[in-house]
Amino acid sequence: MDRRRINGPAGATQPPVFDDVVSQGAKTVSGRSRMPDASRKMYLKTGVTPSASGSAYLEMETSAKPGASGLKLSCSVHGPRALPRSAPFSPHIVLSTHIKYAPFATKQRRGYLRDPSERDLGIHLEAALRGAIIADRWPKSGVDIIISIVEGDQDRETSKSQGEEAWDMMNALAGCITVAAAALADAGIDCVDTVAGGVAALVQDGGADSTPTIVVDPIPSDHAKILAACCIAYLPTRDEVTNLWFRGDLPASDMDLYTHLVEKGILASRNANCVLTNCLMETIE
Amino acid sequence: MPITILAPRPSRAANGPSDNASSSDSDSDSNGGADLDGDLPMTTTKPKPKTHPSKHTPSSFEIVTPGETITSDPQWMRGHGTYLPPSTTTIISSVAGTVTRTNKLLSVRPLRARYTPEVGDLIVGRIVEVQAKRWRVDVGSTQLAALPLSAINLPGGILRKRTETDELQIRSFFAEGDLLVAEVQQLFGDGGAVLHTRSLKYGKLRNGVFVAVSGVGGGGGVVRSRRQVWTMDVANGGGQVDVVLGVNGYVWISKHVETAAEAEKGATTTTGITNIEESVSATMYSSQNDRIEVETMREIARLRGVVTALVENGLRVDEDMVVRGYHEAVEMAMVSAEGSDDIYLGGERGQRLAAVLTGV
Amino acid sequence: MSSTNHVLLSPAELAYLHASLSLTPPIRPDGRAPTQFRPLVAETGILPGTNGSARICFADGTEAIVGVKAEVERTVVGPEGEGVIVEGGEGEVEEGGGEGEAGWVEMTVEIPGVRDDDSGTAFLAAMLSEGLLADEGFVRRLWINRRFHWKLYLDIILISPPLSYPLPLLSLTTHLALLSTRLPRLKSEGDEDPFFDDDWAAAPYLFPRPNGKSTTFVSQTRPPITLLVMAVGNNIIFDPSKEELAVADVALAVSVTAGSSSSQAPSKHVPMDTSTEGRNLRLLSIRTIDPPSRLTPPGVANAANSAYGANAGQKTTHEAQATAEGEAVEGVWRAPRGGAKRMVLGALVQKVLERGGVVDEVLDALEGVDLG
Repeated sequence: MDRRRINGPAGATQPPVFDDVVSQGAKTVSGRSRMPDASRKMYLKTGVTPSASGSAYLEMETSAKPGASGLKLSCSVHGPRALPRSAPFSPHIVLSTHIKYAPFATKQRRGYLRDPSERDLGIHLEAALRGAIIADRWPKSGVDIIISIVEGDQDRETSKSQGEEAWDMMNALAGCITVAAAALADAGIDCVDTVAGGVAALVQDGGADSTPTIVVDPIPSDHAKILAACCIAYLPTRDEVTNLWFRGDLPASDMDLYTHLVEKGILASRNANCVLTNCLMETIE
Repeated sequence: MPITILAPRPSRAANGPSDNASSSDSDSDSNGGADLDGDLPMTTTKPKPKTHPSKHTPSSFEIVTPGETITSDPQWMRGHGTYLPPSTTTIISSVAGTVTRTNKLLSVRPLRARYTPEVGDLIVGRIVEVQAKRWRVDVGSTQLAALPLSAINLPGGILRKRTETDELQIRSFFAEGDLLVAEVQQLFGDGGAVLHTRSLKYGKLRNGVFVAVSGVGGGGGVVRSRRQVWTMDVANGGGQVDVVLGVNGYVWISKHVETAAEAEKGATTTTGITNIEESVSATMYSSQNDRIEVETMREIARLRGVVTALVENGLRVDEDMVVRGYHEAVEMAMVSAEGSDDIYLGGERGQRLAAVLTGV
Repeated sequence: MSSTNHVLLSPAELAYLHASLSLTPPIRPDGRAPTQFRPLVAETGILPGTNGSARICFADGTEAIVGVKAEVERTVVGPEGEGVIVEGGEGEVEEGGGEGEAGWVEMTVEIPGVRDDDSGTAFLAAMLSEGLLADEGFVRRLWINRRFHWKLYLDIILISPPLSYPLPLLSLTTHLALLSTRLPRLKSEGDEDPFFDDDWAAAPYLFPRPNGKSTTFVSQTRPPITLLVMAVGNNIIFDPSKEELAVADVALAVSVTAGSSSSQAPSKHVPMDTSTEGRNLRLLSIRTIDPPSRLTPPGVANAANSAYGANAGQKTTHEAQATAEGEAVEGVWRAPRGGAKRMVLGALVQKVLERGGVVDEVLDALEGVDLG
């Protein structure tokens, strides 16, 4: 990382604030147009960066509204390559993950240096991938996985308080896991299975007294309130979870709710995995 | 009870008068007077005075701090832990510790220090780096020790020059992370040590657990003693257990494996010495554990608990203390509610054990 | 501080640890029961210059200090927020209960010997604050009036070098510090510039005591605690030490809190029956901790060991490779591959959330700490 770069003052540019005709008065929630179990459409392509050992590009369908951006991720894998001489011996491949939001990817402009939330995402991704890679096939070597989030999954029309950042991060992480798995396969690094990420959320659409429902692949702006969400990295043929990230507020007495949420998260990652395997098959053909 | 949370111990009064007012001390703790040393017994316990053979040193246990003048008598020679200001004869301490006088040599042993290797020390070490012709071994000292490829026994007991083939497969003997027991063969001028494992009792360690305690010097920890390695019979059908107390404060406790040499001694067959060596060294570089019974594992964990309890309560760790501590621990477990399977010796139980041991 | 740093254990040690931890009941190297924590020494209110502070110390010398500082800060109102203020006179924001924002809490973790921008430290801080912020009621407590709020700085400092993954230690210390946190009593009313009571003795606690005067309706909410649990074989082990974590099949950090669910509307606030056994636990967050076991060096079975036996040096490395990939041999360590089974993950969470289980006892013990 370049520590010598002199950054412009943080927050010097103000994002444009558009007159929000719809959200005058009460917040309107557009509502979900998909079935609870349906994920958004996803576009995945490998081999987009010829100079990298492996690369992939992922795009999530934008929601029905114009002006709302989907998720656009670009991942490049460099390696496996020899570790520098100074590095200690490693019997396994040394994995390093970098996730960076482009400065213009979100409503609030991001700086050039990675902020704590991006580092946090990087650790999540590392945990998800390390379970999938057969690390002892590549001793004394390292691989860098670099993901840039070209466009974050944020709705311009939602107010700041409504679209909580944490839920967006989960969506981004799920995409990162899927795109990184595609890029790893493109780079020819041995994996036990294709890992893919999926998100499920417990949402409350009809006011505070309504019964919460579980939806797959949620868009925060579609729902009035998200009670809990989980992001899961899942290996379908081994039926194993490599990374589980849950956040929310659930009564402990109701384990079923939690179990269902995890099940739906797995369903979401199965959906993503279908796209992933199809994409890889296409590439081979 | 899965968790025990204790209040900090009232701070020990440094000098006499308020010593017996400890009952009222608990008040002052909560008012923000942080007593940072109250619960670190290792640092506060004064070392047990060691008996020195020299008779003319009534003040040999005096404690000095850095900068303190020990003597200005020119008859003394300056040893470790002291320094001599230019053009004087005043010997000044450079560390905090106890003054030791050996003949006319005056040195200061620090209260707590890293291990300083000495030739002949039996140590337990961990490989941290593999180089072309040698290993670098962590022995808890200021520097990594070196173990040359020429200083190990080759498998099969073959005596020959080390070839390039050996160099290429150096990692098959010892790899990073491996534990070994070795002896200090030689010292460099800068304090670095060279080790060797050219004996059947040295080599790679397996079938057991490792625990690091502080090394020589200081109140607790392993002290140099007559025997650093012994095999003991353990209670509750655990069989025999080997204990290796490295002088550097690294301890290895493992299941005793009947070596072929011992088996030969039992049976009266006459096998050539080379044959014995061959069969012994067959397992020398194995990283595969033998089958270990549950009872043995339990007793190994109990022994480990004894060692940790000794250190946490500032007691020395040697054969006598470990064996006595172990028997106490077995008895304590017998009378405890959970029965003899209960091997936990942390916290308050460790303190009780230490109290029993020091009370004798 | 990553969980994967500095694991240097020999394959034989790893195989032994894994075998002893897979027994039923498991034999832990330090003899603890599976659900038992390391004994610790705790005190609160050690720093008079803070709003709340705590210190926890393990017997091995690992020690953490947490200081909580609160500052009054002007609430930044967004463009659509201004509209709320204009219309707000109709009392749609009920007294003492405005909306909180995640930005009102700032948490930093400092671990000696680790770079400030280390990803592992960021992960730890994110994990600890995640649990805190998932409880929506918490930030709501920092609301002063519509123009001002408290900004809470939680500074977590590990005093000693980390001898094990410090998550449970830091979490318990943070919990105690928050329990002992007091904010000055507000004397002003409404939306005017706030001024406060000088009398520190009158300052109310951020988390009111249940045994205070108004026992009946005081909310029983407590700060969250984050526990580290791991699974080896069929065993679930709490508060693992560094060596134990090195052979974990899977490790989870689970944040739990006790008390009424704040996500419910306050009107539905049902007085809790505190007399009945067990608390009303709530699950706030779960994270998989990358177990360092995946990075451990694998052991070599005797059959494949070129330095084993009298025929040393005769086997080709190719054969050794072939057996290394093959079936597991007893007594030989192999780093786990792949992820965790769903059932195992479910069992781990279930075990944590058990009514009257570990969390309850930990909370009981934490409540027993004298809050000076």
